[in-house]
Amino acid sequence: MLPLSLLNAAQNKPMMVELKNGETFNGHLVNCDNFMNITLREVYQTSSDGEHFWKLKECYIRGSTIKYLRVPEQLLDAVKEEQNRARDAGRGGRGGFMGGNRGRGAPPRGGRGGRGGPMRGGRGRGRGA
Amino acid sequence: MDSLIPFTTSGSLVDCVDRKMLVVLRDGRKLHGVLRSYDQFANLVLEDTVERIYHADAFAEQWHGLFLIRGENVVLLGEIDLDLEDEVPIGRPVDWVALEPYHKQDVESKKQREEVKAQILYDKAGFSKEGGEGDGY
Repeated sequence: MLPLSLLNAAQNKPMMVELKNGETFNGHLVNCDNFMNITLREVYQTSSDGEHFWKLKECYIRGSTIKYLRVPEQLLDAVKEEQNRARDAGRGGRGGFMGGNRGRGAPPRGGRGGRGGPMRGGRGRGRGA
Repeated sequence: MDSLIPFTTSGSLVDCVDRKMLVVLRDGRKLHGVLRSYDQFANLVLEDTVERIYHADAFAEQWHGLFLIRGENVVLLGEIDLDLEDEVPIGRPVDWVALEPYHKQDVESKKQREEVKAQILYDKAGFSKEGGEGDGY
């Protein structure tokens, strides 16, 4: 479960986004991409000093301006469960996609293969716990 | 086995997954949490995250939960030794609301000291000015 796939799985979930300049945005995630660009709906924006507030119907945030995102705790368990289900059901869903990515990257490029290896180990431990 | 893993973000962080970690951000925040995931940019997923602030011999904590930190903002990621953690004297725990104003004051005075220092270095020692982001990272 890579950070960005967690973000992908957080669609339609409430979250709090803090930008590098300290402004925060509270809203529901509409969509996101691999640059971490996101769109939120029903947003409450807070200035960095916490004294000014704005309500926005929808907003777009460029990924590079983000400091961090706070997402619901339950999301991690939900995603793990879904991954397990996808794995049990064969090579479908998210798990299948990542498998394919690894397979493609490993043979031609040594570096990629090395990176894929440890990641697999990390995920395995997570599942056990 | 270790020597087989190249020194990349991924290679260095594998051993830290599912461990309790301390993360320091560029804005000076200190977060404690369990590292659940990361990628090649050092984007991090932290579970059960707690933010800690200090002032003199006191400290306070605030619970945040599940965090997804954009890698750019990470200064430091360190493993916390669970056995040693209890033995190290970190001061007396106090209420967050009580400590926060003191902490903010500390941050502000540190910022001012740094500005004065940077100005002196610029005027007298021929140093260049820092970039627009205002930090030394």
